[in-house]
Parts: sequence; structure tokens; C-alpha cells
Amino acid sequence: MKRIAINCGGNYVPGLNAVITGTVLAAHELGWEVVGIRDGFDGLLFPERYPGGGLLTLTPQLLENCSASGGAILGNATRTDPFRVRQVNTENMVEEVDRSGELIANIAAEKIDAVIPIVGPQALSILFRLHRQGLRTVCVPTSVENDVAVTQLSFGFNSALSFAVEMLERVRQAAQSAQKIGVVEVLGEHAGWLALQAGIAVCADAVLIPEIPYDLQKVASRLQEKHQAGRASGLVVVAEGAMPRDGQETIGEAVAPDSLKASLSPGATGEGGSHVIERSGRAAQAVARQLQRLTDQATYPLVLGPLVKGGPPTAVDRQLGLGYGAGAVRALDEDRSGVMVAFQPPDLKFVPLAEAINQVRTVPASSLFIQIARSLGIALGN
Amino acid sequence: MANSPANTGAPKGIVLNIQHFSTHDGPGMRTTVFLKGCTLRCKWCSNPESIQPKPELAYNLRKCIGKDQCGFCLKECPEFAIFNVDSDTKVRVNWDLCTNCGKCVPVCPPQALYLFGQEMTVDQVLDEVEQDSSFYRESGGGITLSGGECQLQADFAAALLAGAHQRGINTAIETAFNVPWSHVEKVLPHVDTVLHDIKLTLPERHRKWTGVDNTRIRENLKRAYEAFPDKTFIARTPLIPGVNDDEEHIRATLEFIKPHKNVVDYGLLPYMRFGESKYGFLGKVYEMQDFEPPSPESLARLRAIIDEAFGRSGGGTQT
Repeated sequence: MKRIAINCGGNYVPGLNAVITGTVLAAHELGWEVVGIRDGFDGLLFPERYPGGGLLTLTPQLLENCSASGGAILGNATRTDPFRVRQVNTENMVEEVDRSGELIANIAAEKIDAVIPIVGPQALSILFRLHRQGLRTVCVPTSVENDVAVTQLSFGFNSALSFAVEMLERVRQAAQSAQKIGVVEVLGEHAGWLALQAGIAVCADAVLIPEIPYDLQKVASRLQEKHQAGRASGLVVVAEGAMPRDGQETIGEAVAPDSLKASLSPGATGEGGSHVIERSGRAAQAVARQLQRLTDQATYPLVLGPLVKGGPPTAVDRQLGLGYGAGAVRALDEDRSGVMVAFQPPDLKFVPLAEAINQVRTVPASSLFIQIARSLGIALGN
Repeated sequence: MANSPANTGAPKGIVLNIQHFSTHDGPGMRTTVFLKGCTLRCKWCSNPESIQPKPELAYNLRKCIGKDQCGFCLKECPEFAIFNVDSDTKVRVNWDLCTNCGKCVPVCPPQALYLFGQEMTVDQVLDEVEQDSSFYRESGGGITLSGGECQLQADFAAALLAGAHQRGINTAIETAFNVPWSHVEKVLPHVDTVLHDIKLTLPERHRKWTGVDNTRIRENLKRAYEAFPDKTFIARTPLIPGVNDDEEHIRATLEFIKPHKNVVDYGLLPYMRFGESKYGFLGKVYEMQDFEPPSPESLARLRAIIDEAFGRSGGGTQT
């Protein structure tokens, strides 16, 4: 092993530079050269787009102080799938072409021995396919929703959680002064980790997550109890994938999404074939309107949405990112391939990609966080 | 040409659907034959299942009877693309792994897994179309080829249209004209009415919203107007709020079509979110989630401009 590459998947997540730094430093210790592929695999599929070339040589000197900053030195690709690369052919017609073989050939031509992709749950499937075609790879999981299977913690989640908590505190203060119920939607299409853990951190009145179909009457009763006890405001955290219990009324066309969608592709196979997330903000809007109807208290919906994906990484994500990067290099040094680095406390482990795909890490009913929320009197809508 | 599966050999084509009793796809009551494959990628596309030229897998979770009673697809898929979740027994499809090989389809008794698109011969299509012939006579209708881009499968489309004429059936096509002229030359001689889109005026904006600029489309249109003076052309714009629902585009389109007397009308097709659920069946992302249909007021305002250009007092034909 002499030359390895690293690249980033589709979304910016706080801590990307930390993983890159961890990889470069650990590889440097072994005497390996590291190059970064710009914008996912675009640097190798479309090198003509980059005046300085699609690859960037990464050295410890270049990355000095990088792990502490936000941003992503290599850029992201908005879902370039090498198996379905959209391009305009010589007849000026748009088509999707399988360029996976060409990609693997380009990687070999650049004398790159292995690739460390930093990817979310969707791109893991693509890397699994590439690995089956012969790509030597160790993946690093990233997800602000913390929904990548078989790892306790994806990097990026802690930063998103910290920012969500800060924003929820602000919403609470605004709700208190306005004497309203703030209903805040956070990311969480399949998994409610962000809503649940942020909701616990700010002692929200209620937290609604995809894993627990909600009955808003119960949430309303809880809020009314507090109102009668003299508190006129409230704070409800809603994961965007939260849905009402079967048969419950939602608001007009704002049908709450189907949380059972556990396919890994966006907009995949919900009941009736509809999109799971019809549009950002609908979950908060539906819950806010109906709570207002049920409680006769003014509510206002807010959406944090992708805001939590921005900004610098927290200390936890910096450490985790550096650790994941270094761990991926260790895996390659141990001659592993087709695996994902997974944090399974207290260890970093290497899990076959086949075990990481086709699963979503959701909040189990027995989760300690569920128990904590109940103990704190946080309504979960069931 | 990777995008045109039926351009060589016997005139067989990939047909997505045959829709009977259509009233918006040309004159009279029509039978619309949707051919698979498109050369554009309009972000508002209402027929996402028509885009890829080859048959592709779709999945309706509602129909799945679950792994406990069935589960054959789980064993059949060679790509590990079908899997189970903890929350229920119904299977899920990982679209990033699916290669559309179709091996899961015949082993799915409830037809929850199915293919969009099937290969058909000209006679198979026309035999079905001809069943509606009595309606054509009553209403002045006929067959309409739509898509996708029906001119992509040029040989098949030409054979279908010629065969329809032989059977005495009126013909129409819905097309965006983003095909080589050689395709147009094959298809248009057999068409009575050409319904064609003019989506955007500026080339760069056209590229942004549809994937390619409109230089060739405009060249094809001009050439077609002139090369086929006996054909009836009807221009149409799918009206997308914030994209092309402005007077400038409408007036520019009128300026483009009006010198040609065989362009008899210009219709506006207000954007509707019709296709949204179909994206879900295919595991695709609908990129227009935050777009709303145009308001009745803006539609009326733009239609008035067209009516004026065509010398109508209002409420004219809107195809």
C-alpha cells in the first residue's frame, strides 16, 4: 500500500475535514501518500471540470488546523452515482450511463491502491456495489441523523445535536415571552435520534419521532395540564418523519409522512408510493395546527431542517472524525477491504459493508433515551 | 446510440402504457401510446417512469403480502437489493443496488414488484388501439404517440403511425423535438397533428431545467414547420411557476411560431403535481416539491396574450 485516496459523499457534515486530517496523518505515519478526489467521484469521472486536476494531494502541512474548521476541503457531490452518471451524449440527448468500470479503471490508472469514502447510508450501497466490482475500500459513516446501521455514532451527529439544542433553547425563550407553543421540526426521516436527544437536552414538553406513531390528544392533554398549572408556553420537537397513529386526522393535504419507509433510497417506497417527506416543514405545520385546535393555545411551527448540517464540528465530532480517518487507514494496513469503520464503544470496529447496508438505525422501544424521556415527563405521543 | 433501443432491426418498441379515451392529447377522443425513453430531464416531469429507455422496476409496498407468506423475491434478487426491515414483514427495495434485471417480478404473486415498460410489436399495439376506432369516428380522434420522447424510438414510432394510417386511424404525436433530424424525417411523414413543447426560450435556462439547451430543438422546429407545410402543429408550454410563467416567454414563443401558418395554436399546460407519487414507486426524488400550480389569475393573463395573438376574443382552444 503506497497511495490511497479519500473522498466525500453527497452532503456537507460538520467534521469532514477532521476525517480527512485523521486519514492523512495516519497514512503519513505509514509513509503512504494520500490524494483527495474532488466532489465525490467527480474528480475522476469529470477531471476536465477541474483546472488544477480532479485530485488534490493531501499532506499534513496542507491540513494543519483544518480539523478545527468547518467546510470541506474536497467538496461534495450531489449524488453522483457512478452506476448512473447523467450526461449529454453526442446526439445532445440526456442519458444515464454506467461508468463504474471506467471509474475503477481511472482509480487504477492513478495508481490509487484503495479509497476511503466518507459517506452516508445511501452511498454505502453504491460503495458496496463498487467493492463487488473490485474496488478496494474502507468506508467512514456520516449522518447527522445518526441512522447508519451497526455504528453507535456517525460523525456529524453530535454537531447537529449541539446546534439543535442551542436553537431549541432560543425557541423556548421566544415561546415563553410570546406565551405560545413552539413546534420545531428537526431532521429525522426514519430515525428520531436527533429529535429525541435534543428534546431530552432541553426538557421539551413533547417529542414526536418516526418510531412512535403519535396521538396528539395525549400531547395536548399534557400541555393543557401544564397550562392549568400556570405555564402558558410550551415546546414540542417533531422529527420530520413523525406520523400520526393510524386513522388519526391530519391537517388537510399535509399528510404526515410514513415512518415505515426504511428503504435506503430517497423518496422510496412508502405506503401508497408517496414520498416520505413531502416537503420540509410539513410535519411541524401539521402538528402545530392540530395542537392549536386541541389546546386552544397559539402555536407556531419552525423548521431547523438542514441548518443543523452547517457550521464547525463539536469536540466530539472532531475526535470521532480524526479517529474514523485514522481507523480507516488502520483497516487498510490490516489488509481489510469492503468494510465500514464503526464505533461500537469502547472500540472502533470494522464491519462488512454487507452488514451496514439495507438497514436503518432507528430508536428501539427499549432505548435508554426513551426511558429517560418518560422519566422526565416528556410526552412521546403514545 | 445507447438511448434508442428500437432504432435497429424489426420494428418492436418499448411501450410504457396504452391509455384509452384521452381527451387532451390531440383532436377528439384518442388512444395515447406512451413510448419509453426520453432525451430531456425536465425537473417537473410528470411521467418519470417514461424517462429511461429500458424497462425498469417499480414497487408498490401496499400490495406486498410480506415475507412470512411469500418472500420469494428476497431469494431471487442477485444484487441484495430487496430486504426486510424490523418494523413489518413487507419487503423494501434498495434502489441504489437494483439493476432492473426484473428477476423478482415473476416471483411476486401480488404484483407488488412490476416493470414499467414492455416490448411490443407494431401489430400488438395497433390491435389494441383499433378497439377504440368507433370512438375515433364519432369524435374525430385517433392515436397519439407520447412519451417520454416518442421520436426517440423513431423506427418503431414511424411504423406505428404508418400502420395506423393504413388502418384509417388519424395520428398525432406529443414531442419535444430534442432528437436528431433523421428521426424527425422518419416520423413526421406519418403524422397528422404535431403537438410540440416549447419549454423555455433562453438556451442556458433550458439547459438548467431540462438538461440540454434548446438550440437543436429550435432548429428542428423551424425545419419541421417548413419541411412539412401540410402538417398541423400545435405549440404548448408546460407552465411552471417561477420558471417560464412569464409574459416574456409567452411573447417570445409567439414570435417564434407566428410566422408559420401551419402552427395553428399555442396552448398552456399548467403545472400539476400529477407525477409525484410515481417518483416514489421508482425510488426517485421529485425535485419540484416546493412548487405550486400557477394561479388562475396568472394563467388567464397569459392565455389572454395568446388569444390576442391568434385573433381570438378569449377562451380559445387550449390544448
